[in-house]
Amino acid sequence: MGEIILTMKGIDKSFPGVHALDRVDFEVRKGEVHALMGENGAGKSTLMKVLTGIYSKDAGTIIYEGKEVDFANPREAQQAGVVIVHQELNMMGHLTVAQNIFIGREPRKGFVIDDGAMNKEARKLFVQLGIEIDPKETMSNLTVAKQQMCEIAKAISHEAKVIIFDEPTAALTDTEIEQLFAIIRDLRSRDYGIVYISHRMDEIKLITDRVSVMRDGQYIGTLITEDCTKEDIINMMVGRVIYEEPKTHSHCPPDAPVVLKVEHLNAGKMVQDVSFELRQGEILGFAGLVGAGRTETARALFGADPKQSGDIYIDGNKVDITSPKDAVEKGISYLSEDRKRYGIVLKKSIVENSTLATLKEYTSGLFINKPEEEKVTTQYVETLQTKTPSIHQLVINLSGGNQQKVVIAKWLVNDSRIMIFDEPTRGIDVGAKQEIYELMNQLAREGKSIIMISSDMTEILRMSDRILVMCEGKKTGELDIAEATQEKIMNLATRDIDMQEGKK
Amino acid sequence: MKEALNKFKSLKLVRIIGFNRVVLLGVIVLISLLFQVLSAVLNHGNQFLTYARFTSAMNYGYFIGFLALGVTFVIATGNIDFSIGPVMFTSALISGYCLNNYGFPLILSLFLCVLIGAVFGTIGGAFVAYLHLPSFITSMALMQVAKGVGSLFTKTQNVSWPNASMANGWYRYLSNYEIQTASGKVMIPMGAIILLVVAVLCAILLNKTRAGRYMICLGANREAVRLSGVDTRRWEMLAFIICGALAGFASIFYVGCYTTVQPSKGDTFNNEAIAACVMGGTSMAGGLASILGTVIGSFIVAIMQEGILAMGFTISYQYVLTGLIVLGAVIADTLSRRRKN
Repeated sequence: MGEIILTMKGIDKSFPGVHALDRVDFEVRKGEVHALMGENGAGKSTLMKVLTGIYSKDAGTIIYEGKEVDFANPREAQQAGVVIVHQELNMMGHLTVAQNIFIGREPRKGFVIDDGAMNKEARKLFVQLGIEIDPKETMSNLTVAKQQMCEIAKAISHEAKVIIFDEPTAALTDTEIEQLFAIIRDLRSRDYGIVYISHRMDEIKLITDRVSVMRDGQYIGTLITEDCTKEDIINMMVGRVIYEEPKTHSHCPPDAPVVLKVEHLNAGKMVQDVSFELRQGEILGFAGLVGAGRTETARALFGADPKQSGDIYIDGNKVDITSPKDAVEKGISYLSEDRKRYGIVLKKSIVENSTLATLKEYTSGLFINKPEEEKVTTQYVETLQTKTPSIHQLVINLSGGNQQKVVIAKWLVNDSRIMIFDEPTRGIDVGAKQEIYELMNQLAREGKSIIMISSDMTEILRMSDRILVMCEGKKTGELDIAEATQEKIMNLATRDIDMQEGKK
Repeated sequence: MKEALNKFKSLKLVRIIGFNRVVLLGVIVLISLLFQVLSAVLNHGNQFLTYARFTSAMNYGYFIGFLALGVTFVIATGNIDFSIGPVMFTSALISGYCLNNYGFPLILSLFLCVLIGAVFGTIGGAFVAYLHLPSFITSMALMQVAKGVGSLFTKTQNVSWPNASMANGWYRYLSNYEIQTASGKVMIPMGAIILLVVAVLCAILLNKTRAGRYMICLGANREAVRLSGVDTRRWEMLAFIICGALAGFASIFYVGCYTTVQPSKGDTFNNEAIAACVMGGTSMAGGLASILGTVIGSFIVAIMQEGILAMGFTISYQYVLTGLIVLGAVIADTLSRRRKN
């Protein structure tokens, strides 16, 4: 680790109703990878947005390369050498790799862009990073990992000195993560200051030198990664210890009535001949790799996407579901993996979101019965312990975990009997995760039937009573929790791929 | 300064009306004073702020107001309707033609105005909601259709509605009612009263009913509302029907003011109605609408038109000004959204 390149001191930032940053301190040295950790809503992203000029700070100082700075916008920060590699990539898919990297500062020959020089420059950057990407390739043809590497190349071409990675591995496979880490280690050895934001504890231990932890907008402390354990960090993040243990046996009695039966469901390429049963009070885990067709199965079942064929029985009676409206009327609910797009109306209040699926019942005559609506919302805010100053708060101002609780409240108000949780804890911090798990267990105990789609193996093994595994749009197996292991699940989840490759 | 502003913002009345609307009311006062001063300078000391001016400005404000109220619903759902002006004209053309040439009773003709508007709204709404066509281009196409249908029906002739003194002239009293007093004629702005009543109904519909809640929510996030088990298509289409019906209703007040309607016209009123809406704080991105804001916005448009004509400028200046105001309102809307993000 070298000298300090960046110091943030006493940074304060408030939004209406939220004290997002409360006198936060943070520093980065040359040649270190500095992890910034904290639950969702702890203030990590806000801090980085203040640093790069997306937000202006209310108080505090930022010292960069020995001088006090206050970047007015991301462009100024970029020019000074402070760059964010975003979680959602900001690339133009129809342009080539080189065009993306040099956008806005293309090398020119007179009035025309000098494509040759541009591609050569880009190639040089990739050689420097030790990666193989063709500068002339169209961006949208690359994998997410490669696109990310282009962003890194772009950052370096800007002569960045501080690079911020915001959850860079969220969409990468294991090999891709290895590649990314090799690049990060290389950057570290060349004296770049690196800020690394991630929720994945194992990565923090692997790649970072120091860890700074934030909680509720406050700076909690900084640890040397080598000298601390995973539990130390979690303790600082949530202020309590959490144990994660797998379930050993099914909590659902074998004679519990079958609530939902799906037979030979077909919907496009991603759902081929899927059949299964769901019992009352059962949590049925849907395991598989990303893109195995689990979400598509759920959406077809829920009527969100059209299906080609297949029969659905609820309590033994055949039902016809062609739209989400039908599904909701039959007591099925779907909690999407992409909350912000499919789960909630961000710009509306908790009340408006909570009764969205049930508004008819909260309408007397022509008008919405607001007192009743507020009463039921308050009730669920209390039982789910949603953290909010008021039930009239806009959902956009809540943290990920609390937004998820609003979605859950919506379906509980509707009294759904069959709940499909699609990646219920994605983007949710450790503490709130625990609460969501407890809530799902309680719902199952109360007799609700749950389908839980999850790509997180620990989550699957911890929550499910039974596990259905999918691969390439087909169901490849079903395991009782008592016999399930990570290896068995992985085997089933990759079975079809192996078979196809065997054929070749 | 900042503290004083915050204190002002937290006043009860300001909170109820909304800070933006209070600013808009201030804008009305400023514009009126500006015209008063200009009038004194340019027109040899003539007063601008007189009752006659007010009723004359309101004449323009009525039909713009009804158009703007209607399009507020469409914009709330995240769509746009560029056909309202020509639809208003077509309603007036066809109904007026039926009144004059086929001997329709007046009351039936007035009803027909609203019906024709609603039919256009239903067609546009069906395309947008059920076939998922972009409203921008759909309404552009319908605008052309509306113009063509109106002028085919009247064989490209102007249609003149009856004068106040004629047998079927009482519809004009819906806009202005004249009373003879000792000191001369006094105009009662009936249109303003009707506009306010309709605005209150719209506000109730938008804020207190299921339909309004769904329209606003689907404007903010259509897919989330659909996945909550709501048939979003139905409510999206309803917004267009309301918009069309109000455009038809507006035509009653247009002829109440100008009597004669030309075929293949009416596009300029689209922009003014949408301008009124956006000025009033309804977001072009959908999911946010204010009926009160739309009413105030319509009054601003009306006062500007009256002022510019009163100063002796040509109407072309008004087009420039409305254009600039729309730009300004969109800038304000976009900037405030950027800040919030």
